[in-house]
Amino acid sequence: MEKTKRRKFRLKKQAPNRSLWGDGLMLLVLTICGAFMVLPLVYAICNALKPLEELFLFPPKFFVRNPNLNNFHDIFVLMSQSWVPFTRYIFNTVFITLVGTLGHLLVASLCAFALAKHRFPGRNIIFGIIVTALMFSSQVTAIPNYLIMSKLNWLDNYLSLIIPAIAAPLGLFLMKQFMEQIPNTLLEAARIDGAGEFTTFLKIGMPNVKPAWLTLIIFSFQDLWNMQGSNYIYSEELKTLPYALSQISSGGIARAGAASAVVVIMMSVPIIVFIISQSSIIETMASSGIKE
Amino acid sequence: MTYFKKRNGKWKLTLRGKDARAGYLFILPFLIGFFGLFVSMLIKSISFSFSNMEVGADGYILTKAAKNGFEHYIRAFTIDPDFNLRLGKSIAKMCTTVPLILIFSFFAANILNQKFKGRAIARSIFFFPVILTSGIILGIEQSDLLLSSMNGEAMTSTEDLESMIGVTRFLTQYTSLPGEIIMYLSNAVTGIYDIVIASGVQILVFLAGLQSISPSLYEASNMEGATGWENFWKITFPMISPLILVNALYTIIDSFTSAGNEMMSSITSTIFTDVKYGYGSAMAWIYFIAIALILAVVGGIISKHVFYYD
Repeated sequence: MEKTKRRKFRLKKQAPNRSLWGDGLMLLVLTICGAFMVLPLVYAICNALKPLEELFLFPPKFFVRNPNLNNFHDIFVLMSQSWVPFTRYIFNTVFITLVGTLGHLLVASLCAFALAKHRFPGRNIIFGIIVTALMFSSQVTAIPNYLIMSKLNWLDNYLSLIIPAIAAPLGLFLMKQFMEQIPNTLLEAARIDGAGEFTTFLKIGMPNVKPAWLTLIIFSFQDLWNMQGSNYIYSEELKTLPYALSQISSGGIARAGAASAVVVIMMSVPIIVFIISQSSIIETMASSGIKE
Repeated sequence: MTYFKKRNGKWKLTLRGKDARAGYLFILPFLIGFFGLFVSMLIKSISFSFSNMEVGADGYILTKAAKNGFEHYIRAFTIDPDFNLRLGKSIAKMCTTVPLILIFSFFAANILNQKFKGRAIARSIFFFPVILTSGIILGIEQSDLLLSSMNGEAMTSTEDLESMIGVTRFLTQYTSLPGEIIMYLSNAVTGIYDIVIASGVQILVFLAGLQSISPSLYEASNMEGATGWENFWKITFPMISPLILVNALYTIIDSFTSAGNEMMSSITSTIFTDVKYGYGSAMAWIYFIAIALILAVVGGIISKHVFYYD
């Protein structure tokens, strides 16, 4: 009796099929690969803290010796001289990022839900077109895109940055693949209980693919946050934050310190968004509680 | 397959018809944006590739190119000395890196999905490259002193190269592996940094996929006495297979269209530096058709094996 009890206890404590060696090996692989990835970040932060004379040391040093915040101070000095208040740039980027990300999320997931869970003629053709659309990178489409924006009179307007981002195909493709995994029985159950099509989408479809749309938010946010939009925006008061900051760094070698501080500021926000969205992911309930 | 039915002298939607109508309504916003902005852009680009463009003070004038408009296409294949070479190089590079990126990112996602301390930090570390390689940050890093001097170093240093060749020679002499496999592996080792850096998005997609697999499936299989190995192949792998398709297509496209790609940069410089819009568009379209063929083949093969729950 006692023997079986102890055995049960041990089984519970130890995760199944995992050994100390396996854990150690995984940790090793993670550390090596992680080191590759984290080094540029460490370097960027070090650079931002370096005083000017240390930035131009030869041979260059990786780590900072006398860290100070002068570079960040320089940004604010430079920015306070600009014609438009600095907060305006921040507002522009935040506005474009939020509207674009939310719009993209809504449009892409609506479309993905229909493509995955509704049968209608032309479905496969539309999906095929979307996959091919993934192929066009922004360099190839720059000139035609500009012509369309100018025809629509959207130049020098937030719309020229937001609307194309909303219809981006990658997020849609991702959402469609996830939506396919939702069991039809779950949706049927909701419909039988009297849910309309939109309620089914919102209350059953979306919660079940939460990891997918949190990932989609990260991608879209990251893209929009770094968007310079210099092709479409000319008025100073509509320019985005990356655009304004790239003006600092284009000041050449004299602004190298401020430019390295800009890097840290620009990347800290997507990293924070990433950490928040990743920590709010929990395992979903899809396909649990279904008896066929 | 009937969408309409006559009832009481009126045409009414059947159940299937209602389903289709809801489907169309749901994709309508996307279609408007897509056809309004994207498709018209593509059509413009095609028309550019068949014509010579002259930019004047009040817009541009298109005149039909020689040889029934195919002048630019013929020139790309027969006259331009670099085009075929670059096209072949891009495809060869894609073939080597894409499988490695897929395997690495799947592996990394599996590790990152397990429960351990500092998981959130580990995950964000693997996403850093995506943030670091975007836009303004990339531009600034390129002008950096240490990085630029490091690039010079990599060009001149032969030590690494020699040790690499030594290992390759050792492998060919003392193992009976075919030479192609050894070359592939040694290329993979030299390119490991590129592979790790390029797989941020893929890891995240796989991670999201792993997280949406219901734990009750594993619970049930553990109850039946399945091992971790069996769990992986019978549950994780089929459930993640739709995302293998996503990631394969995304990785192929990413390797072809990233700004560092040789073909891409030559197209960009033809269009923007030399201002030969017609020729540049023709190059882009040949490139595009080549990618589309590869995508169709790869997509066709993978989607045959994709498993959809239900």
